[in-house]
Amino acid sequence: MKLRHWLCGLLLLISLPALAHKASDSYLVLDVQGREVTGQWDIALRDIDFALGLDADGDGGITWGEVRARHTEIAAWALGRLTLRRGGECALAVADHLIDSHSDGSYAVLRLAGSCPSGGGELALDYRLLFELDALHRGLLRLGLDGSTQTAVLSPQRAEQRFAAGEASRLAQFGQYLVEGIWHIWIGFDHILFLLSLLLPAVLVHEARRWRGVANFRLALVEVLWVVTAFTVAHSITLSLAALGLVSLPSRLVEAAIAASVVLAAANNLKPLVERRRWMVAFGFGLIHGFGFASVLAELGLPRETLVLSLLGFNLGVETGQLAIVAAFLPLAYALRGTGFYRRVVFIGGSLATLAIALLWFVERAFDLKLISA
Amino acid sequence: MTFSELTCFRRLRRIALLLAVAALTVPALAAPRKPLADSELLERLPLRAGDGSARELAALRAGMLVAPGAPEPAAALAQAYFDLAMARGDPRYVGYAEAVIAGFGEPPTASLRVVRGLLRQYRHDFGGALDDFAAALALDPGFAAAHAWRAAIFLVQAAYAAAQQECAALQSLGRATLFGGCRGLVQAYSGQLDVAYRTLQLALATTADAGNRLWLLTRLGEVAAWRGQPALAESHYRAALALGRDDGYLLAAWGDFLLDQNRPAEVLAALAGWEAADNLLLRLAEAAAALQRPEAARLAQALGERFAAAGLRGDTTHRAEEARYRLRLRGDAGAALRLAAENYRVQREPRDARILLEAALAAGDAAAAQPARDWLAASGFEDARLRRLDQELALATRR
Repeated sequence: MKLRHWLCGLLLLISLPALAHKASDSYLVLDVQGREVTGQWDIALRDIDFALGLDADGDGGITWGEVRARHTEIAAWALGRLTLRRGGECALAVADHLIDSHSDGSYAVLRLAGSCPSGGGELALDYRLLFELDALHRGLLRLGLDGSTQTAVLSPQRAEQRFAAGEASRLAQFGQYLVEGIWHIWIGFDHILFLLSLLLPAVLVHEARRWRGVANFRLALVEVLWVVTAFTVAHSITLSLAALGLVSLPSRLVEAAIAASVVLAAANNLKPLVERRRWMVAFGFGLIHGFGFASVLAELGLPRETLVLSLLGFNLGVETGQLAIVAAFLPLAYALRGTGFYRRVVFIGGSLATLAIALLWFVERAFDLKLISA
Repeated sequence: MTFSELTCFRRLRRIALLLAVAALTVPALAAPRKPLADSELLERLPLRAGDGSARELAALRAGMLVAPGAPEPAAALAQAYFDLAMARGDPRYVGYAEAVIAGFGEPPTASLRVVRGLLRQYRHDFGGALDDFAAALALDPGFAAAHAWRAAIFLVQAAYAAAQQECAALQSLGRATLFGGCRGLVQAYSGQLDVAYRTLQLALATTADAGNRLWLLTRLGEVAAWRGQPALAESHYRAALALGRDDGYLLAAWGDFLLDQNRPAEVLAALAGWEAADNLLLRLAEAAAALQRPEAARLAQALGERFAAAGLRGDTTHRAEEARYRLRLRGDAGAALRLAAENYRVQREPRDARILLEAALAAGDAAAAQPARDWLAASGFEDARLRRLDQELALATRR
């Protein structure tokens, strides 16, 4: 009994790196940049053996020597079953033969290189490897086409597929950055608080050391438009400069300055220094906030090929988010402007609270401390 | 949350996403290399040129080459590939079989139709498979295997009246063994375990064919276990194993029996060397986890990679196993319940009901298991374990 258990344990150990039984897949990674094609194609040795017969000595094992002797034939067989078209058929060649291990055994690795007649337009791919022998074979494709990555499963039913390099993927990219921009303004409390600090007094006028509500909606709207436009123009300028790599500032400095801008905007509500030209404040500090947006964008990683488009998408996203805040804020503030509640609780209380939070942020960021956490 | 914390959180989220994507799309762990010596062994083929299966397959392939386009040699080769796939749990042979029959468009003969039906049921295209078997019977009303497979599919779909009709057809064809197996299972699934046991025993007595005996003994083992007679079940399983034939279904059933009997060490022994087959790797990983063996984590990891690889291909035929993996090895009741519920829409055998009930209980979502509970109520299936799960769920609902 003991001996049997021991033997079984031993068997288990010996067979530990056991290979999976799985249906046949090849892994095709292609990178097409303009005319240039590079790539790698991993095909199971077991599959090549089934198609071409690799086991020359019939001992049930495939050695490197047996594979090496057939390299030319393997390349011709594989390339004969893969067609790429971009403005015509692309010329493909196997640049190198290597070996790799996957979960179900060893694979021949064909390093591919080639070129297409055209450097633009859609790419058509026709994959026919092994289908006539193994109808469950699949080609798992990862295609980089002019910088955007797409994946596909190639099967007998979907052997020929087309991939658009142009508008479809660009539009998707634009949309993705637009959403990121909206998302960022929504979770960027410091930007929201800055904006609100500047907007809170928009429905009020300061006369004879007292605040009272503006006479009509148009006055409030004009003030808001000035502030929001100035903020937008300013942060768009620095966001673009930073994202294009023309200007760069240390992020701790930027973040501390953003906190300082919120402190000053809130303080200005409590003891007004700037009353008429708040848009200039918005512009000045907007320049700083733009650098903050740029650091987020840097983390997302701007694709080289669609840099300007992505930048535009992100910026428009930020503006969209901002407009949503304004649209929610303005009617409410306007309706409440004449009440003591707005002037004392919302305006003074809100500004005080903002000032306190922003001061904490400033100390945290400027001196790299952790005072409040999420 | 401060600005910098938010960006950090977002960075982590992106890294996690990238890692998840990388794990799914980069299948290779090692880097491509160039072997140094010609003598380096890279791959061991499943069949050596000289062994029995290889010779048989070579002869069948030669037969196809002699008469290209002839349906009978093609059907024989495809059937041989399919049998090999079932014996070894190696799906590549299923693909080979598919390719052999793919050249025929609409299969012209009953035997080709039956092979295509087999391949379709393997892919869980049960509707297509039933059509193929019916078409085979239209061409050759005496094709007993087509009735047997139709019955098997109806059993999976819990359509017992339809299955019974196929059993009756087998009886009128005079196929006592197939009829007994068919009838016995219909009885077992529809709440008459004792009668079922006797029917299967009678069927066993009618056949000396090793393949049929192995199948009947396996099912007798399952029925005995459901009746709460583990010693009897074990004797049937051991008799089936003693026939010395590779059979993935038998090994999986035996492994499950041992796990249920809390004998995981014997699972490791019985299934040693079978890690290549996904369904057996699942049993091995469960046993290793139960014993807290050092290799448990590695086996579970390997299994997870197999499911991920199948997912990349868009393969959804392993959902029942994947649900078990999620529930018992990963403790992820929510994911297990989703998989088990999806599986139960397609497959409704007792084991499918069991994983659905277990996952629902673990996830605290009794409503999700309602289809399985409805089946238990309607069929009267008598397994004590399933009844207990059902009661626990009923209690959970009332609470």
